[in-house]
Amino acid sequence: MKTSDVIDALVDAAVPVRRLHPPLVRAAIWLALAATVLGLLCVAHGLRPDIAARLQQPVFVVSMLGALATAVLAALASFKLSLPDAPRWWLLLPLPALAVWVSTIGYGCLTDWVSMSPDGMRMGEAARCFATLLLTSVPLSIAMLIMLRHAAPLRPTAVSAAGGLAIAAMTSFALALIHDLDATIMILIWNLGMAALIAALASAFGRTSLKWVAARVMPSLPLQLSG
Amino acid sequence: MPSCSKENPPYPEAPKLTLVSSTPSIQRASRGQSDWSALMARAQDGDREAYRALLTEVEPYIRSIAIKYLGRSAEVDDAVQDVLMTVHSIRQTYDPTRPFGPWLVAIAHRRIIDQLRRHTRHKTREVELSNEHETFAEAPANLFTEKSAEHALVGAIDKLPPDQRDAIRMLKLKEMSLQEASRASGRSIAALKVATHRAVKNLRKLLKGEPS
Repeated sequence: MKTSDVIDALVDAAVPVRRLHPPLVRAAIWLALAATVLGLLCVAHGLRPDIAARLQQPVFVVSMLGALATAVLAALASFKLSLPDAPRWWLLLPLPALAVWVSTIGYGCLTDWVSMSPDGMRMGEAARCFATLLLTSVPLSIAMLIMLRHAAPLRPTAVSAAGGLAIAAMTSFALALIHDLDATIMILIWNLGMAALIAALASAFGRTSLKWVAARVMPSLPLQLSG
Repeated sequence: MPSCSKENPPYPEAPKLTLVSSTPSIQRASRGQSDWSALMARAQDGDREAYRALLTEVEPYIRSIAIKYLGRSAEVDDAVQDVLMTVHSIRQTYDPTRPFGPWLVAIAHRRIIDQLRRHTRHKTREVELSNEHETFAEAPANLFTEKSAEHALVGAIDKLPPDQRDAIRMLKLKEMSLQEASRASGRSIAALKVATHRAVKNLRKLLKGEPS
């Protein structure tokens, strides 16, 4: 096909488009959705029973704030990175918050090691934990994929890594808010393990799933040029 | 260190050189960015004329970027078209308050590098067939299946009734038009059409009966 024919086809298919909101606004929309999901979960399940006592502990508070800050900054980074002309170093934005969050988990791990009770975790709680994990991460992932679909042809891996980190941090924040996971191993598995799993899944399948969503939600190429 | 101001050029006797860009499109890129930005803003609102003007103007600019990466090869056209289509499908991400040039260049770079990567991956997987890969040195000897199918078809045509056989030979094998065949055989066009139709039907039956 000649390039002039491609231009003709594209011009024929040029319907008006709505410009994207600035990344800050789009990140705020996603965070509002996350807040809604978390709010609903808290209403349905209730906060963890020892929340008042935990909030007195600086390590817990710093860890929670670290997770929240990681989620907010990673979401902003992924929306910024999804624009073609954004510099790549936006990927570094959530790293300081991530460092704080991860280091507090490590710190809790060391101090709690001695006082950890081996039967601190019940099976029922683990299952409910898993439900919270899915209820938080699935809707947030779907929303993120749809909102970031236009990044599919540009830099899908960086965008989905940042997006995955935002989802993982938000999920971890929800878990810590709702479930009393005091055994250190469980904290590690649930918080870091799940966060790493979600982030890894996002970077492994982000490229393919972004493309899949983009092909379905964004069929704006004229028919003769697609495929 | 001699100073290099306008008043004291370092080599006063040297002929005055003017820098001439060999790629006028790049010159246009810097000069016309605000125009491109305005054109894209109008294109986003559905103005097709502005969109056509924009795509036609940026095409040589994208081509110069593609040539830089790919050399003057046949893939340049593919790359340019790919970039244009990507610009089209994500045109809602352009913010008219920001410069158009970096937006376009970022898309062009990523798509062209992506294409280079795909191309290299293909190349590492594909091996060109040489004579050593053939079973026999003589070319026709390696086309056994095609030959036998051809033989079967010729045999089947010979078995057809004479009128159908002539029709299929004239119209399909010699590729004559209906008028030419009609003149050559003295039969009407309608009769030839019917004969061909029946011949194809019979051939299908004959070839199905014979395992090739």
